[in-house]
Amino acid sequence: MIRLDNVSVTYRLKGESVEALRNASLALDGGSFVAIMGPSGSGKTTLIQVIAGLLTPTAGNVIVSGQNLRQLDDRAISEFRNRTIGFVFQFFNLPSYYTALDNVALPLVFAGVSETERRERARALLDEFGLGDRAIHKPEQLSGGEAQRVAIARALINNPKIILADEPTGNLDRDTGFRVMALLQRINRERNVTVLLVTHDEKAAAFADRVLRIEKGALAASLPPPLSPPTIPVNQRNDRSSDSPVDLQERVS
Amino acid sequence: MIRRRDQIRLSVRKIGLRRKRAVFSIISVALGILVVVTVNSLVSGIRDLVIRTGFTEEIDKDVIRVTHTPRHYGDEESSSSRKRAQFLSDELLAEFCEWKEVEAAAPEIRIQPVNVEALAESPRAASHDYAMGAPEALICRYADARELAACEGVIPLVLGERFVKLRYHERTSKFELEDPARVQSWIGRDVTLRVGDPMGQLERFRYDYDKKQWLRLSEEEIAQRRKHIESYEGEFDKMIHNRLLTLKGRVVGFCPGTRLLMPEEPARLCAKWLKQRNDLARLRPVEPPAEYGPHGRRAPREGEFTRATVLLKAGTNPEPVVKRLKEMGFGATTRQNAFESFLKEVDTAMKIVKRIGYAFGGVLLLLACGLLWSTTSRIVSDSRADIGLFRALGATKGDVRRLFLTETVFLGALGTLVGIFLGWTAAYWISRLVLHIAAGEISDPEEMLMIPRSLFSVDWTRCALLLAGAAAVSLLAGLWPANRAANVDPVKALKRE
Repeated sequence: MIRLDNVSVTYRLKGESVEALRNASLALDGGSFVAIMGPSGSGKTTLIQVIAGLLTPTAGNVIVSGQNLRQLDDRAISEFRNRTIGFVFQFFNLPSYYTALDNVALPLVFAGVSETERRERARALLDEFGLGDRAIHKPEQLSGGEAQRVAIARALINNPKIILADEPTGNLDRDTGFRVMALLQRINRERNVTVLLVTHDEKAAAFADRVLRIEKGALAASLPPPLSPPTIPVNQRNDRSSDSPVDLQERVS
Repeated sequence: MIRRRDQIRLSVRKIGLRRKRAVFSIISVALGILVVVTVNSLVSGIRDLVIRTGFTEEIDKDVIRVTHTPRHYGDEESSSSRKRAQFLSDELLAEFCEWKEVEAAAPEIRIQPVNVEALAESPRAASHDYAMGAPEALICRYADARELAACEGVIPLVLGERFVKLRYHERTSKFELEDPARVQSWIGRDVTLRVGDPMGQLERFRYDYDKKQWLRLSEEEIAQRRKHIESYEGEFDKMIHNRLLTLKGRVVGFCPGTRLLMPEEPARLCAKWLKQRNDLARLRPVEPPAEYGPHGRRAPREGEFTRATVLLKAGTNPEPVVKRLKEMGFGATTRQNAFESFLKEVDTAMKIVKRIGYAFGGVLLLLACGLLWSTTSRIVSDSRADIGLFRALGATKGDVRRLFLTETVFLGALGTLVGIFLGWTAAYWISRLVLHIAAGEISDPEEMLMIPRSLFSVDWTRCALLLAGAAAVSLLAGLWPANRAANVDPVKALKRE
């Protein structure tokens, strides 16, 4: 599904050459859930940007879903991102002038899908995530957890094969963060979507199947997460969701 | 690939982020377009109005007006300058009459008001301007032959120039300028025509209808009239109070040419008066011959004059005669060339007005273009995070470029539409105002018939061109910011967020 062969990314910062990625090689199967961990500036975000085709590596090949990203032109790589990749960001990146429904449907706009179909699909997804009654709300009217779930729904709307989540819990409190992680885990298992999670948080990483460490741009071998996923107390549940807290706890455990 | 409808929606939403700037851009585009549309919508109407009402040369197609062309003598007199300097004379007119194309030739056919009072008081001292008359014989022959044949039972009132004022006051049953539509309703009305000094001097003579002659008024009568005039002057236009040559009659119609028709009797009376006036005009003082030296212009001597009229035989082409007269060094004006030169002058004036309007509109549009550029640039700067997101979600560079180009084109097109609408509105009201003013100025019923109902016209082709032009200019204004947006590095843009 995802293969990196000796990928290096070098850029210049204040006249100095900085190696964000150094001969990074990686092979991930479809349906895996991998957490990428490492200190700040170690190249975690660069790695997922390379996988998303947002950043062209200085050296090496990136092959995602059978496509060598270096060989794709702007149109093809945009289409690849639109159809293959779903993004989840730390700060949600929900345009404030759109409702939750419009935000979820946004990738379909770039896919040229008709408005009726966009709205149907977005509404179904929001309903699935327990946000049906928030469809016409603007991002500032949503809680952090709701906004991140809207962002996850947006990442899923075009049925991507890969979700790249860049510190999705970084802007959320601990429990909400766990619930978002549980949702990602559920998506990974139920939809067989590959999830690449960038995080600093060991507990968030515990939701992944494997943890990939990166330091100074170099990837280490992937290992199972050192911790077990935490349980989410029922009485601390803030966000509304279609799945009951009990189900969630069961799934998380 | 993003759908066009979605592209427009997205663009409009982004415009909403910078509403004030967008409004300013639209206003600035609208102002430029307003000027261009207003000028464009009025120019052809005003040209039409000027041509209809401004062409006052009343020359029939078989008449040539010959004029002496004044030129300075040079130190070395060439044969051509000598030719040009020569005046018209009876001998020359006699020579013209011998030409096979010419039926008659006579000096000056113009009829102008004569200050009868001044002439009566001191005929030989009267001003040359007031005493200019026309040989009646030619006028009568000319009128009989051409006009009377076409108009049975009436005589055209040939009172040319601008000195016959017809205005009908409803209150006083006198004529005054009214709505052009009412002109037709004048037919059948009793009219009082006063031909004379437009300055409205006090009458000292009256026409005795029984004796059919002019009588001097007594001092008492003069004082009475002065009082009467004073009581009227404040109330009416002084032009109505021409107190010379009063004639009562009835309007029976308008000749297909440009002549007011009257029943035969009053018209004949009028002709008689004109003759009397022109007889008086002949009493003008004989000016002493004057020489202004080799470098100056010479005044006509006795027996010389500066203007004459040549009447051509029916069906004759005037061009060879005109050519011949010009070769002799005289100015020759026919109806055709007078109209052509008038048309040329009008067209030149209109062209200048158009150019000034377009230049002004162009400058405004250039400024608007700058504002559009700045607005789009600002929107691009404000939208970096969104651009990064769009690119991450699958928008191509082309999608982003089109998105911002659509914004500028939308602003430009909206400004153009607003400008066209405002331009039409302005042109419509200016048209009404100009026609209102023109109607107030014109007192000649024939001229009033010429006033168009509106000066406003819509040139759809030009509007479409304007829209296309504005869209193109907007595209140009938005090209650089749109390219900048397309080349935004999504990685950096997302990092900023």
